[in-house]
Amino acid sequence: MYKQAHYDEDFLIDYNTGSDYILDGEKCDLPENIKRKSLKLPNLRSFDVSRHYTKLSEMNYSVDIGMYPLGSCTMKYNPKYNDYIASMEIFTDVHPLDYEENIQGSLEIMYNLQEYLKLISGMDFVTLQPSAGAHGEFTGILIVRKYFEMRNELNHRNEIIIPDSAHGTNPASAAMVGFNVIEVPSDENGLINLDALESVVSDHTAAFMITNPNTLGIFDDNILKIAEIMHKNGALLYYDGANFNAILGITTPGIMGFDIVHFNLHKTFATPHGGGGPGSGPIAVKSFLKDFLPVPVISKKEEKYFLDYSIKNTIGKVSSYYGSFAILLRAYSYILKNGNDLRKNTEKAVLNSNYMAGQLRNYYNIPYKKLKKHEFVLSTENTGKRALDISKYILDFGIHSPTTYFPLIVKEAMMIEPTESSTKKEIDLYIEVMKRAASMDDETLKNSPVNTSVGRIDEVKAARNLILHW
Amino acid sequence: MIDEKLMLKSIGMGTYDDLFSDIPEKLRANMDIGKPLSEQELIEKIKRISKKNVNKVRFLGNGIYDRYIPHLVDEIISRSEFLTSYTPYQPEISQGILNALFEYQSIISDLTGMDVTNSSMYDGFTSLGEAVRMAYRINGKNEILIPGNIYKSKYEIIKNYVNGLNVKFIQYSFNKNGLLNLDDLSSKINENTSSIIIENPNSFGLIDENAMRVKEIKKSAITITYYDPISLGILEPPGEYDTDIAVAEGQQLGIHMNVGGPLLGLFSFKKDYVHKSPGRLIGLSNDKNNNKAFVMTLQAREQHIRRAKAMSNICSNQALLAVAATAYLSILGESGLRNIASITVNKSKKLRENMKSIGINTVFDGINFSDNLFHFDKIDILKSKEISGGVKLSDLTYINDIPDASFFSVTEKTSDDDINYLVKSLGGF
Repeated sequence: MYKQAHYDEDFLIDYNTGSDYILDGEKCDLPENIKRKSLKLPNLRSFDVSRHYTKLSEMNYSVDIGMYPLGSCTMKYNPKYNDYIASMEIFTDVHPLDYEENIQGSLEIMYNLQEYLKLISGMDFVTLQPSAGAHGEFTGILIVRKYFEMRNELNHRNEIIIPDSAHGTNPASAAMVGFNVIEVPSDENGLINLDALESVVSDHTAAFMITNPNTLGIFDDNILKIAEIMHKNGALLYYDGANFNAILGITTPGIMGFDIVHFNLHKTFATPHGGGGPGSGPIAVKSFLKDFLPVPVISKKEEKYFLDYSIKNTIGKVSSYYGSFAILLRAYSYILKNGNDLRKNTEKAVLNSNYMAGQLRNYYNIPYKKLKKHEFVLSTENTGKRALDISKYILDFGIHSPTTYFPLIVKEAMMIEPTESSTKKEIDLYIEVMKRAASMDDETLKNSPVNTSVGRIDEVKAARNLILHW
Repeated sequence: MIDEKLMLKSIGMGTYDDLFSDIPEKLRANMDIGKPLSEQELIEKIKRISKKNVNKVRFLGNGIYDRYIPHLVDEIISRSEFLTSYTPYQPEISQGILNALFEYQSIISDLTGMDVTNSSMYDGFTSLGEAVRMAYRINGKNEILIPGNIYKSKYEIIKNYVNGLNVKFIQYSFNKNGLLNLDDLSSKINENTSSIIIENPNSFGLIDENAMRVKEIKKSAITITYYDPISLGILEPPGEYDTDIAVAEGQQLGIHMNVGGPLLGLFSFKKDYVHKSPGRLIGLSNDKNNNKAFVMTLQAREQHIRRAKAMSNICSNQALLAVAATAYLSILGESGLRNIASITVNKSKKLRENMKSIGINTVFDGINFSDNLFHFDKIDILKSKEISGGVKLSDLTYINDIPDASFFSVTEKTSDDDINYLVKSLGGF
């Protein structure tokens, strides 16, 4: 029986056991008017800091504990060799402004990763600079903007089209760069409605942002037709790489006709997500867009790697330095280690998803086409239960719930992505819990979870009576 | 293997290929990613590459600093319960990270003297970009005042962040002592001013007392202060000089340099602006049994709810590094942080005096924090003596009229031996 720890743990500021940090004190002469008058920081022993976080960690679920099938979040096993590699002092202790000849090792890692990402995406050029997937989208849309600016088309190309099943970051990123967002409805199969698309595409269209397979886990085999519609109209096609785990080694955004792609290294390439980040969101482009990439990219000349600022019409910088190296290094070593077996991971991920969907179909409505890719979406509506209640019930079994209430086009949605890391045994248990939930009495569902650190939380109170500070 | 056959069979499929029958043949890729490696082979290969990094005596800074990191910090953020968890979408089973992020918000608010801190942004420079956008959302005005000595990379990022907005940038100048020119700034503040970016220490590395006086002239403009978190061990914090939005690079707070990433964007503001702010906020509430409980709150500002009308597109942030920063500050405590900041100022002073003794003068006379600007342009000598430093002002900023100005930076880790070696190496020339 699962039972998560619960501690009535004090805040760090309330410990007051006395700091034991030793550093010889020095005074410095500063004019009184700029000197700090008072500073209140926690005052406790290192041992207490250690205990505090150990207790908190016991109140936290992680993929190292069990299944974490958040759809579109791809929580797979994070191999420990990556953490070892990323902790090597020879990589961590490198300053970004050091001379290029002193940092050849780090530059080579980044260069090699750029090459791998080109190969895997079927694209021509890569930047590693964006800090997360959404930041990659932002960077990609800045490139879209620059491309049309250079063609003197920006005045009329002011719209970006997005399907109604899209991740929320897509419209947010497009709007941040100043585009109007036009939504197109999905068709009865959950795919892009080509007629609807053609009716909104015009000379105002700058780009269409989609992911394939889409957020319903369905591969859109009309993709070449979609690319043709966009390109014929002078617009660009953007690939949201959140769902890359479904296609790695099988097909590429390049082949599908995409012009810009972002990756989520923390999803597809198994880097840890750290309770919310850091992620990493490199982007790749077709060669006609290479002149707009952010600077620097990592280039190589006569066996020397260098920070290449020679990009003609660059959008400039999007991150302070060159990208999230500690994450890039992990992704690189993951690709290097797995090589052609990456395709097997994709196959296993898709098998797990279809198996799970197949078993759950008897209890929940799983709309749209039967064959799924790495994830699928079910609706709890037919059971008369709310997705929210079922998601809380699941937690009581020591497993994490799926993404809920997304995509928006499915009522009472649960979006499930088991990834290649789940075994049949784990999946069968998950199915069993979901099966029980479908016929569980409302009282039990409403009262769950009971085995987690805390019970159902008053979220309305948190928003009404804002407490954001200890 | 047996499991997989059973699973395929249960969905009426014979082979893995059947699972991909929806991907047309003409879309199929054929790629050679390479032969899989054993862990031993992998480590050997990575180590071979790593040896191409070499570490010299360093006087590098300008935003990223080599500070001492207590081992406990790495130990905490290596715990797989934190490291391998996702964004806490199910708060009941994720109280650990939520509690830790709530403490991060609290400790950074205390450090800066600000009301509210969000649960992290990507890095310092993008935080500036988000701050300028936030100011525009608050007042809808279109003039942004920026320091004339701002780093090019910061300015480029800010420009990208406001690409879709109708705003313009106006530079203000610095006086002959390298401090913010209050008269010039004052003359540029008017009813169209949206925000004023202030840096302290400023881009010359100087602790800038004039930056602390902008409150006297700001009128209704929003001030955005870019600060150095370590310096707040001894300097008046941004909240004390009426800053509206305070942002910084948090790498110095227990995060390894890693050739510049991942970093940590510290983002704080006055509480009146909370509904216009970007990023995730962790709020304190209670569960139905009246236990203390934390949740992500005010999510209606965010992209997954508000979509095109969201305050920002940010989704993943730097949560784990926010935990590192909290642990770092907690281990140091008040006196630890004050000592590190004081030592930094004193090391800078010592460096300047020693350099002066061999005829290498500072560009400005003032109080420097970590970064010190000298008249020096003999990079070749540095390289021949295996010293890293001398980052040129004209490479970092748009200032070209002091062609020989370059930086040497220190931290509490810079030893007297390092400074002596630098001075000895440069002394004969």
